Amino acid sequence: MKSSRREFLKAVGAAAVGGGAVGFPAVARAQARKGVPSEPVKVGVLAIRAGIAAAVGTAGLRGTEWWAERVNKAGGILGRPVQLIVEEESNPKDTVERYRRLILQEKVEVVLGGISTGVTLALGPVAEDMGAPWLSWDGTTQKGVEETMPNPKWAFKSVDNEFEAIVAAVLTAKYFKGIKTVAGINNDYSYGHDCWETYQHVLRRYTPDVKFVLELFPKLGVTDFTSHIASIQQAKPDLLMSSFWSGDTTIIMKQAAAVGLFKTMKAVFTTGGGVHDSLKKEFTPEGLLLGYNSMYFDDPKGSALLKQFVREYKAKHNEYPPYECDHAYFCAESFKAAAEKAYASAGQWPTKAQVVKALEGIEVESLSGRRSWRGDHIQMCNFFQGVTTHKNPYDFVTINPVEVMSTKVAMKPAGGKLLDWINATFPLKG
Amino acid sequence: MTANLVNILLGGIFHAAILFLVAAGLQVVFGVQRIFNLACGSFYALGAYVGVTAVRAFTGAGGSPALFIVPLVFGGLLVGLVGVVVERGLLSFVYDSDEAFQLLLTFALVLMLEDVIRLTWGTAPYSTAGLYLVYGQVTLLGAQVPVYNLIVIGASLGIAVGIGWLLTRTAFGRIIRATADNREMAEALGVDMRWVYAKVFTLGTALGTLGGALVIPTTAAMSEMGIELIVEAFAVVVIGGLGSMRGAFVGALVVGVFRAVAIAVYPALEMLLIYLIVIAVLVLRPRGLFGGAAV
Amino acid sequence: MSRLVLGVVTGVILVLPLLAPAYHVLLMLPFMAYAVIVLGLNLLFGYTGLVSFGHALFIGIGAYTGAVLTTHLGVRSLELMLLASAALGALIAAPVAALCVRYVKIYFGMLTLAFGMVFYTFLLKFYRLTGGDEGMQVLRPTLLGQDLGGIPKTDYLVGPYYYYSLAVLVLAGLVMWRIVHSPFGLCLRTIRDNPTKAEALGISIVRYRWSAFVISAVYAAVGGALLGPPTGNVDPTLAYWTHSGNIVFMTLLGGFANFFGPVLGAFVFIFLQDTVMAVVPYWRLIFGAILALVVIFAPTGLMGLVARRRPAEVARA
Repeated sequence: MKSSRREFLKAVGAAAVGGGAVGFPAVARAQARKGVPSEPVKVGVLAIRAGIAAAVGTAGLRGTEWWAERVNKAGGILGRPVQLIVEEESNPKDTVERYRRLILQEKVEVVLGGISTGVTLALGPVAEDMGAPWLSWDGTTQKGVEETMPNPKWAFKSVDNEFEAIVAAVLTAKYFKGIKTVAGINNDYSYGHDCWETYQHVLRRYTPDVKFVLELFPKLGVTDFTSHIASIQQAKPDLLMSSFWSGDTTIIMKQAAAVGLFKTMKAVFTTGGGVHDSLKKEFTPEGLLLGYNSMYFDDPKGSALLKQFVREYKAKHNEYPPYECDHAYFCAESFKAAAEKAYASAGQWPTKAQVVKALEGIEVESLSGRRSWRGDHIQMCNFFQGVTTHKNPYDFVTINPVEVMSTKVAMKPAGGKLLDWINATFPLKG
Repeated sequence: MTANLVNILLGGIFHAAILFLVAAGLQVVFGVQRIFNLACGSFYALGAYVGVTAVRAFTGAGGSPALFIVPLVFGGLLVGLVGVVVERGLLSFVYDSDEAFQLLLTFALVLMLEDVIRLTWGTAPYSTAGLYLVYGQVTLLGAQVPVYNLIVIGASLGIAVGIGWLLTRTAFGRIIRATADNREMAEALGVDMRWVYAKVFTLGTALGTLGGALVIPTTAAMSEMGIELIVEAFAVVVIGGLGSMRGAFVGALVVGVFRAVAIAVYPALEMLLIYLIVIAVLVLRPRGLFGGAAV
Repeated sequence: MSRLVLGVVTGVILVLPLLAPAYHVLLMLPFMAYAVIVLGLNLLFGYTGLVSFGHALFIGIGAYTGAVLTTHLGVRSLELMLLASAALGALIAAPVAALCVRYVKIYFGMLTLAFGMVFYTFLLKFYRLTGGDEGMQVLRPTLLGQDLGGIPKTDYLVGPYYYYSLAVLVLAGLVMWRIVHSPFGLCLRTIRDNPTKAEALGISIVRYRWSAFVISAVYAAVGGALLGPPTGNVDPTLAYWTHSGNIVFMTLLGGFANFFGPVLGAFVFIFLQDTVMAVVPYWRLIFGAILALVVIFAPTGLMGLVARRRPAEVARA
């Protein structure tokens, strides 16, 4: 049949590209449990392969592959080997089609992945309709700052868009006291706008007289910020805030260094850790606030699992892993845990509905530490931000001290308006 | 105040310098072959990637960082030879077809090159790290200006002069102009069109790849940078007029400087301002500022 | 002969939802939407000789009209969505066409591309109005006054929506058939093949080109409106220039010289893309190569290969 030929090609591809076997040989010895079919568990993965977010999508896919390899070596899920079926996340229309293909044609048990907000906004309702769990790596179903799907059954969503802007604002107040004027440069799309707005609201709660003197919204994918930097120089803010997360972080950092921009102002890069190993010391100064989202590869308090992952990732891909790996690992691992938990009570391989039930509130060990799903299907985890330093063995910057903030503390709880919650919550006590 | 003005203007001119190289490649090909090369942006991206690879190989082999510009330019020009392959291997089959087919063939190239780049260099941003900074900065009227930006502006100007010289002062330039004016006449006078086309297309490609290589130290290469750039290059040639070198030069300045001013004065406008200019030019002066006889 | 083929094809499409797996039936939905789009595009490309690289603009108009109507204005009727899309498509096409049809060949292609990009930038920049990159939701439309909100979305799509799209496609096809076989269609072909002769015959070239442009824009808008509901969302990439390139690709793949060529092209494009994407991640490379091969070796497309020995209906001189 067509699908078997295709799986063969996938297996060959995986072996050729990665050199690691995601396939079955490693689990040939594993025994399926009682009431569990022996054929592989099909896990669908949606990964961005082209465009600005391709690097992030690739990291998520690598994290998932590493998970699958590890699970298969240890005997699979309840004795069933894991088989990944990877499709491309692109625009909403095509991704919805690929999603339906995974469910209807490939008959996968779960779909992992989804990064772009535009795509995940479209995927949410489709997931609800198709009746199979969808665990989004990094996409929400928020429109602006408001949730469009308050009570999803099948869709599990990432951390709120604006969470890292909130953390960054709290840390701005802590590390950069006396800031009077702030300029913002953010990408011209939902994530950029959400981050900038929220950052302003939260920072005002700490320093009510702060002025926001300039806001720039270059299109995602711009590779020349010379003119933007000139505009920032003209505005002379005390601090520059940016939620860039892709190659444009590297570019603006380099072009800013070329004119000595950060000699005259402080800066906060809420999400620059997305491309952290391209932020070379030559052009990235010490003393900036830099956010690593949900995983900091060099966490001094990191677990053995994190250290093993970073080591093997570096060996295989010659890069240091960014946060998307951890979102992806957590989604996959929580599915495994939920299947095992549901099996314990059902006594047979769980139905999709049982898996979803088990996922709600589940907590597992992920690369960055313990992570869980909130009852309303939102990822709960720690975010890592800190002050950049050159004191490390790498050729790029790392952070010290490392500030860790939990979504339990600083993310809006289910329901309610974001602004009301910000006014009621900040400044944080203690 | 002056410092800000210098910063804004130089930012715009720097952007214009890169746009000019890509647009010039577009123009020389269009002027002679009447092919609008949608893949000019993809060649630019290719030049960027090869530029980084060349520089990394150079510094990896112990080359002095201050000399990185040598392998950069060399790599950028060398990969321009891909133009011969594309011209002989693809375009030469469709010279007798409708222009629409030629346009579509370059669109096919856009699709293919995007994946070729991804296959070869992967998806992570690819850059020459901090080499951009080795030439330091100078102070111009109170503004801090990276020396490398001035080098790129100078190189672009030099190439503009060089192309002008090539077109007006050399035998090859006369053949190019004769072909652009009247292909049949040139052919009747014994010009070997195959040879001219191969050379012209390679020249056009090399301008694009060189542009990509020159810009890359200041930024980072991403596989879709070509698809983004084609739209700006396109605005340049519409404003300047299709097929005109002077048009490419003025169009690039208009786009670069207006964009910079928009970002400084009213950032929300940014690229939209450029499109408004494009539409205005199309409505008021459809052949562009320096356009020849359209149609 | 061709009537027989047409009959069989229609029959197969009619019973397909009963026989084929749901996923393949779902894939027929974008096929039918694109079929409407390329039928219109080919009036401009095949019959008038003008290649537009900006028709994604009108796809975007149609798709966003549907989104605005369902989410902001509370209009859920698909008939109204299609009518409004057609009207808005025509309204915006009228001035755009007037500016574009003064030129032919490459200049025409570039002008259309410029207008397409202006619209794309508008969609992206006017975040508050258009939702920016996130786009807008398209709520499930009612069909002929029937509120089908109670059934699962997949059942809705592979059943009522499928036949509705098919009806729109058949209607669009019949109307287009009449257009190209009318004196108007004949004039367009004369203009394409021999503008001087057309002018000598007293045909107003610009006005005919303008009409063909507006009609093709209406088709693109209607097709765009049909694309929205299956995804449930519309976004700016629908109006991006590479999307314009893709529909020209479909038209050429099937064959612009045959009335049904573009429709076949849309079908092959969608199902081939589905298969190739599933096998290799680098589907753009393969599609680019296919496009290059078609342009060089089979410029009359698949229909041209099939009907090589028969005189092509609108073959170019």
